[in-house]
This record gives sequence, C-alpha cells and structure tokens, in this order.
Amino acid sequence: MVKHKDLSIEFCGVKCENPFFLSSSPVGSNYDMCSKALETGWGGIVYKTIGVYIPDECSPRFDNTRKEATPFLGFKNMEQISDKPLEKNLEMMAKLKKDYPDKILIASIMGENEEEWKKLSKLVTEVGADIIECNFSCPQMTSSTMGSDVGQNPELVKKYTQSVCSATHLPVMAKMTPNIGNMEIPAIAAVKGGAASISAINTIKAITRIDFNHYTAMPVVNGKSSISGYSGKAVKPISLRFIAQMAQHPDLANIPLSGIGGIENWEDAAEFLMVGARNLQVTTAIMQYGYRIVEDMISGLSYFMQAKGFNSLDEMVGIALDNIIPAEEIDRDFKIIPKIDEDVCVGCGRCYISCYDGAHQAIEWDEDNRRPSITDDCVGCHLCMNVCPIEGCITPGEVKFKEGRDPHEVIVG
Amino acid sequence: MNDKKKYLTEAIKPYTPLLAMEEASRCLLCHDAPCSKGCPAGTNPAKFIRSIRFKNIKGAAETIRKANILGGVCARICPYDKLCEEACSRTGIDKPIEIGRLQRFATDFEQAIGMKILEAPEATKEKVAVIGSGPAGLAAAANLALMGYKVTIFEEKSTPGGVLTYGIVPSRLPQNIVDQEIRYVKDLGVEFKLDCKVGKDITLDELKSEGYVAFVLSIGLQQPKLINIPGINLEGVTTAIDFLAAAKPNNGNIDVSQNVIVIGGGDVAMDCATTAKLLGANKVSIVYRRTYEEMPANKDEVRYVSELGVNIIYGFTPKEIIGDNGKVVKLKAVGFKDDSLLELKADKIIFAIGQIAENSKEIADLNISIDGKNLVLANEETCETNIENIFAAGDVVNEGKTVVEAVAAGKAAADSLNKYLTSLREVQSDDTEVVAEKKGVK
Ligand SMILES: Cc1cc2nc3c(=O)[nH]c(=O)nc-3n(C[C@H](O)[C@H](O)[C@H](O)COP(=O)(O)OP(=O)(O)OC[C@H]3O[C@@H](n4cnc5c(N)ncnc54)[C@H](O)[C@@H]3O)c2cc1C
Ligand SMILES: Cc1cc2nc3c(=O)[nH]c(=O)nc-3n(C[C@H](O)[C@H](O)[C@H](O)COP(=O)(O)O)c2cc1C
Ligand code: SF4
Ligand code: SF4
Ligand code: SF4
Repeated sequence: MVKHKDLSIEFCGVKCENPFFLSSSPVGSNYDMCSKALETGWGGIVYKTIGVYIPDECSPRFDNTRKEATPFLGFKNMEQISDKPLEKNLEMMAKLKKDYPDKILIASIMGENEEEWKKLSKLVTEVGADIIECNFSCPQMTSSTMGSDVGQNPELVKKYTQSVCSATHLPVMAKMTPNIGNMEIPAIAAVKGGAASISAINTIKAITRIDFNHYTAMPVVNGKSSISGYSGKAVKPISLRFIAQMAQHPDLANIPLSGIGGIENWEDAAEFLMVGARNLQVTTAIMQYGYRIVEDMISGLSYFMQAKGFNSLDEMVGIALDNIIPAEEIDRDFKIIPKIDEDVCVGCGRCYISCYDGAHQAIEWDEDNRRPSITDDCVGCHLCMNVCPIEGCITPGEVKFKEGRDPHEVIVG
Repeated sequence: MNDKKKYLTEAIKPYTPLLAMEEASRCLLCHDAPCSKGCPAGTNPAKFIRSIRFKNIKGAAETIRKANILGGVCARICPYDKLCEEACSRTGIDKPIEIGRLQRFATDFEQAIGMKILEAPEATKEKVAVIGSGPAGLAAAANLALMGYKVTIFEEKSTPGGVLTYGIVPSRLPQNIVDQEIRYVKDLGVEFKLDCKVGKDITLDELKSEGYVAFVLSIGLQQPKLINIPGINLEGVTTAIDFLAAAKPNNGNIDVSQNVIVIGGGDVAMDCATTAKLLGANKVSIVYRRTYEEMPANKDEVRYVSELGVNIIYGFTPKEIIGDNGKVVKLKAVGFKDDSLLELKADKIIFAIGQIAENSKEIADLNISIDGKNLVLANEETCETNIENIFAAGDVVNEGKTVVEAVAAGKAAADSLNKYLTSLREVQSDDTEVVAEKKGVK
C-alpha cells in the first residue's frame, strides 16, 4: 500500500523519528498526556516547564480572538509554569523515558537564580531527558526574576545558560521571548553561555479584547485581567520571521533551531523547516484540536516530499533562506498587471472597492454588466487579487517594465 | 444545457478547493464521530474530513480509497441522509456536513493528479473467482487482490459494473467515474472475463477444474418483477432494468416515447423518470401506490424529478393496461386505499417495482441453500453460505439495498474467503509435517 517517507531528522545530535514535538505547556504536563501524544505519533515532548517555584494559577485563564466566524485566530493564556510538585514531575519524566526510549524527551526548566537553574539542570539530567530547554520567555510569571523579563536581558540569559550547562552533559536549548526587537542578541548570548540550540517563540504579550461590562481585558478574573501571552495561528508570521532572522545571522549559522508558534498542519510545518527550523513544537493547535492533528502533519508532509522529490527533511531545512533578502535588494524594475477571468468572476465588485479605497483607482466598474476591468493606472500591487473571493479569478498577467529599465526574465508567482 | 446533455452531466456541481474547505470547516471534528460509525463500508468520514480541514487532501483520498474501492461512486450515490449524514452532530446546530460532496472532492482530486494509492502484492496465493462485477464483486475482487490472490471476475454482460453501468443514471453517476474505479480494480491485477455467464457459458465445475478453489457469488438481482394484470404483454410495456440498461451504455441515444408512465416509488423509479424525461419524453408520470412519506426514494431525487416536470401520482396501483393494435395506449389504475379510478394516456409503461434473483443453484452449485425468492441464504456478516468455498454478497443476499452495503459485503466476503483458504493452508502444512514425521524426515 502507500509508502510514507522517512521523516526522521537529527536535532542537537539526537535522532528524532519526526520533527513534531509538543511544546512546553499544558499539552505535555503529565505522564498520561505525553503517553497518549507519543502513541498518536508525536516524535517527542517538551515537558511542561518545571521549577522550584510552584505557581498559584487564576481562573479563568484563557481567551481567543475571532475574525468573522473563525475562532482561535489567536489564543491568550495567563498560565505560568507547572503547578505540580517537582518530585512528581521528575518521576513522570523518568517513567516516560523508560517506557518510550525511542521518543525524545526535552525537559523545560525555569529557575529564579543560578543555584536553582543548576539544581534543575542536574535533576532533569538524572531522570534521563535527552535535551534541556531553558524557559527564558514566559511573559506572565508573577516574579520578575523569572520568565520573559530574563529573556530580554542578554547578560542574564548568558549567565543562566552557563549555570545550566555547568550541571549537565546534555545539549541545552534556550527558548526565546518574542517580546523584543532583535532576537539575535539574546540568542547569541545564550550560545555564548553554552547553548547548543535556540527555540522560538514563546508567547507574545497581548490584550485580546476588552470586556464591555467590566472595562478590563479578557479573560475577566474577578473584574480584572492582565496583559499576557498570545499564541496560535495569528503569531505564525511573527515566529517565522524570528526563525528566519536567526537562521540568517552569521553568528548563529550552525545553531539548530526549533520553530514554535501557530503550527497546526503540514504546510505550517514545511514553512518553518524552509526558514531553517530542524524541530517543530506545537501547543495551541493541540489545545484546540487534540494530539490527532499530528496524523495529518505526518501524512501531509510525507506526500509533499514525494510530490517535490525531497528525500529527507534535511534537504528542506533552510531552503527558503537565500530567497528571503533585504528590501533594498528586491527587483523593482517591473509591475505585474493582474488579469481577470470574466468567466469565473461573479461580479461582487470587491476588487473595485478595494482598488478604489485602498489602492490606485485602477479598476473601472461596468454598471450594466457588473464586471470590473483594469485600467492603465494599475501599479501592480495585487490588492485586488488578495480580496477577490473566487479562486483563480484574478491572476498575475502581463509583466510591464518601468520606463528606462532593461527588460529581463521575471518569475511570476 | 439541452436535456440530453443534462442526462449525461452530473447534476450536482463539484466543490472548488475553497468551498470544500468551507464545508470541512463546518465539521465539528467530533470525538467519537457518529458519521464514521454510520458508514457500512467503514469509509471513516471524520478522518478524511479532518484531513481536508488540515490541508492534506491526498491523505483524505488515501483514507477513502483504502476503505472503499468505490469511494468515488459512493460519494455520488450513497443515501447519506440515511447513513453517515443522518448521524452527523452538526445537525444539532443547523444541517449535516455534506459528507458525500467532500468525499467526491477528495476522490476527484485523487483521479485528477493520477494518485496511485493501492498497490497489490505479487499474486502468490490461490486462484479465486468472483461471479458478477457489480459493486459487491468489485469490492471482493479488489480486497482479494490486495491480499495476494489471483482473482478473476466473471461477468455475463460485455461491460463490468453491474447496476453502476447498466442502471444508475449518468446525471447522478457518470460512466467515466465507474470506469475509473473499475480501472483501480484492474490495476490491482484483477482479471475480467466479460460476456461470460457462469452456469451457461462456463460451469462452476469447469472453473474448479481450471484451478479456482473458492468463489464469491455476487450476481445481484437480474430478473425484473412484473405484476399480473391484463395487458402486461403489450408492446410498450417494459421494465426498469431493460429500459435503463439500454439508455446508459448508449449515452442516452435511445428512442423514448411521448407519454411515459413509471410504476414504482424507489430510486429506480426516479432514475427511470429522469431518463425518460431528459431523453425526450413529452410527459412523464410516476404512479406510486403509497404516500409521499412512505415512498422509499431519496427525497432529493424526488425533488429533482419534480423540478424536471415529472408528475408524481400517489395512492394508485395499476389495474389494467389498455392496448390498441397490440400497443399500449392507456393505463388504468385504482386507489390503493379506496376505489378511486385513474386513467392515463401512455405509449410506454415502465415497471420499476423491484427485481428478483436468478436461481443460484443453476449458476453456482445445485446444493447451495436459497429461499423462496431465490435469495442466497448467507450469513450477512461473514457472507458464508452452506457450501464452504462459496461466499455470497450484495443484492443476491440482502434482496437489494445499496451500493455501499454491497461494497461492505464484498469486503466481508473477501475476508472470510481469505480466512477459509488460510486455515486450509495451515491444515495442509500440518498434514505434510505429520507425513514428514511418519517418513522419519524430521
Ligand atoms: C436503477 C437503480 C438505481 C439505484 N440507485 C442506487 C443509489 O442511488 N444508491 C445506492 O446505494 N444504491 C442504488 N441502487 C442499488 C444498488 O445499485 C445495488 O444494491 C447494488 O448495485 C448491488 O450490487 P451487486 O454487486 O450485489 O449487484 P449488481 O450491481 O446487480 O451486479 C451483479 C452483476 O452480476 C452479473 N451477473 C449476474 N449473474 C451472473 C452470472 N451468472 N455470471 C456472470 N455474471 C453475472 C450481472 O450482470 C451484474 O453485472 C440502485 C439500483 C438500481 C437498479
Ligand atoms: C496555556 C499555555 C501554557 C504555556 N506554558 C508554557 C510553559 O510552561 N513553558 C514554555 O516554555 N512555554 C509555554 N507556553 C508557550 C508555548 O510552549 C508556545 O511557545 C507558544 O504557545 C507558541 O506556540 P503555539 O502557537 O503552537 O501555541 C504556553 C502556552 C500556552 C498557550
Ligand atoms: S476544559 Fe475541562 S478543566 Fe477546563 S474548565 Fe472545562 S471542564 Fe474544567
Ligand atoms: S473581486 Fe473577483 S469576483 Fe468580485 S468582481 Fe472583482 S474579479 Fe469579480
Ligand atoms: S458527525 Fe458531522 S460534525 Fe461530527 S465529525 Fe462527522 S461530519 Fe463532522
């Protein structure tokens, strides 16, 4: 019957059956959950962040944003690190590694000072974790000596990474906060401190909505709320950007990256691989749909490799990086005039409205036939193509060179 | 679109990728999805809809094809409203997910890109014969080939497919879809012997002497039912089987009369009415003895024929056919529940009141158990008959249900046949061991 591709990939010197991992969060916070996830096909687990500190969680603690009828565009949480006793977590991790020796266990840890970081590093090494992830990035810790406040400070990142590395022989991965302009700075600091790898992103500080009865953010916790972490599909573009920028940075050239943020299907996964991630982590999509989503990630990615002729994931990693270039290097010699397929057009006029109100008034509207036509004023911005509700109705057409520019071969997307 | 073209073109439009995604997005992605429990063939809608939702259309096609060799056929003609869609949780909000159309989207995609999902291993196992190439036979043959048997289908007609090819109207099931799925079966290495009626052109004993060791009997119901009323032998009186079997293989190039009456109230009657109307009949009426509610035909089909202008008359049963010069001119019918009278002009009357099975004793084995209606007495789950190497599936057992149930039965027959031959092989190898031990070889 159908033969599926080998999706195995090496990450930080560890051979992974596939790149799909749970990211550190409630989706991997006890033995039974992780066991179910691994049985469903996930290649590994980043266990829920453990610490010496035990948080006191609020209720409710989640909200999600919608656009029209689509829920979960983005997801907001107010959760901190694991609220289970440290010993209990260590016990469950040990059992996981024992029962699933071929799957990968990454221990996520967070300390409050060098001693704690060292202690946690040693403990998770003893339980048999394959890799350690340092959580420098939770944006809703109730203590400023922990979480994203640390991740924004390169000195602290370096210092704590050193502490962790000093107490283990395992590869150490530093998890970055996106609440920062240049992620390369703390990432390089982590590498200087001994990190073998960088993962990104943790959640983005956000307010999803304002509650109109209590005049506070969502979710409402006894009439109040806090700014806290945003994740899910909406953050994917931001995460892709951070991963690409780190992958392109010369000082991080050989550092394996783990991509996190809004991954829910094989296309998202392929995109992260193409901008340089070798490992992929997921939370929000699992919270919304369950572990089963990995089945279609595995099957879909495998079919994609077959269709494109990739023999291994390695061939895909970073394949887009050379084509993502600075704005000043973009070829600006031409404009591509869209063409409208009259047979497919249903005459909604959305292209006309958007071109008038948001672009260059380059579409004429035939009132009698209710059909658009593009005029010479078109600058080739393709807003119309972005808004047209019909697939394949507006497509890229003629390539026109600007005056005085040399005509040359142009790839039309 | 002219009517002939309408006859040959699928009435329901395919989804575009965007529409398929919109529909898949309506799916609630249920935990213990009732839709998947509702499919007799185990096509697992919840799983393939989830694949579409997560942009894995190839995976969706894989799920369907692995479970149902006639996935594209079933996508079009399954009575979903009584199967997977009936159980759909989304009904609690508004209306069920259009599972059939999504299935069609995935299988059309599979065909469009020439995906090859199923691959049979080398046929190293025994020779087995499937009698009849309808959905039950095709499903049995495909699954047997996938298990490594050398499979031959014997079919009395010159084109395979059974009712799919000779019955169901092209506007619901175009022939190219049937041909494509039969090609999938052929690609698995299944041989087709056409124009070969078992029991007439070749006997079961001859097949055995050719080396066939086990059989699937899937001959459907080939004899039309008629009622014994005056005028039944007049020219112009015909049966659904004969009428439809002439129309579809000829791409609708047949002579239809001006005033057509169809007797019956099932899907077959609807197909006859659609065919007659689209192929040029001036006036088409359906005469059905019970009420609208009791009519077994799919209600969408009833709506469809009504929109074509077919006149449906409820509550009347035929009493006499009046002829002139040996030809039909009029139908007389009486009320089923009262003594109302109805007279309708007609130059063609089509009986679509069901079919009956041919005698399997004459086709397969003198000793096979059949009932008074010629139905083969077989275990409906395992398809076993009283003859250990004959398994029966489809209409010939269940008296005519649906394509998907015929597919499910064909799969079950293949499994049972495999179990039977596997156990025979084990006994044989035990025997050779005993003999070997006796000879002192071991
Ligand atoms: C007009 C019509 C419309 C229908 N519409 C629907 C529908 O919309 N949805 C649905 O689910 N079901 C529908 N059905 C029912 C469905 O088609 C049947 O339940 C299904 O085809 C049964 O499959 P089968 O393989 O048992 O038999 P068949 O499809 O009847 O196939 C039997 C095959 O065996 C061959 N055969 C018979 N005797 C011999 C012999 N001695 N030697 C060799 N070959 C032989 C026949 O020629 C035939 O090809 C419809 C039926 C009809 C007649
Ligand atoms: C409810 C919730 C709890 C989380 N807890 C942790 C945590 O304990 N440690 C951590 O490193 N990241 C935590 N995260 C962040 C996720 O691991 C992940 O980095 C982020 O959600 C982006 O990925 P996603 O879009 O797939 O959810 C949490 C996220 C959510 C939604
Ligand atoms: S999801 Fe479960 S734990 Fe959370 S509020 Fe609902 S029932 Fe309670
Ligand atoms: S938006 Fe698309 S469909 Fe609507 S009028 Fe413009 S071209 Fe036609
Ligand atoms: S029952 Fe309906 S809503 Fe639920 S999984 Fe099946 S198709 Fe989707």
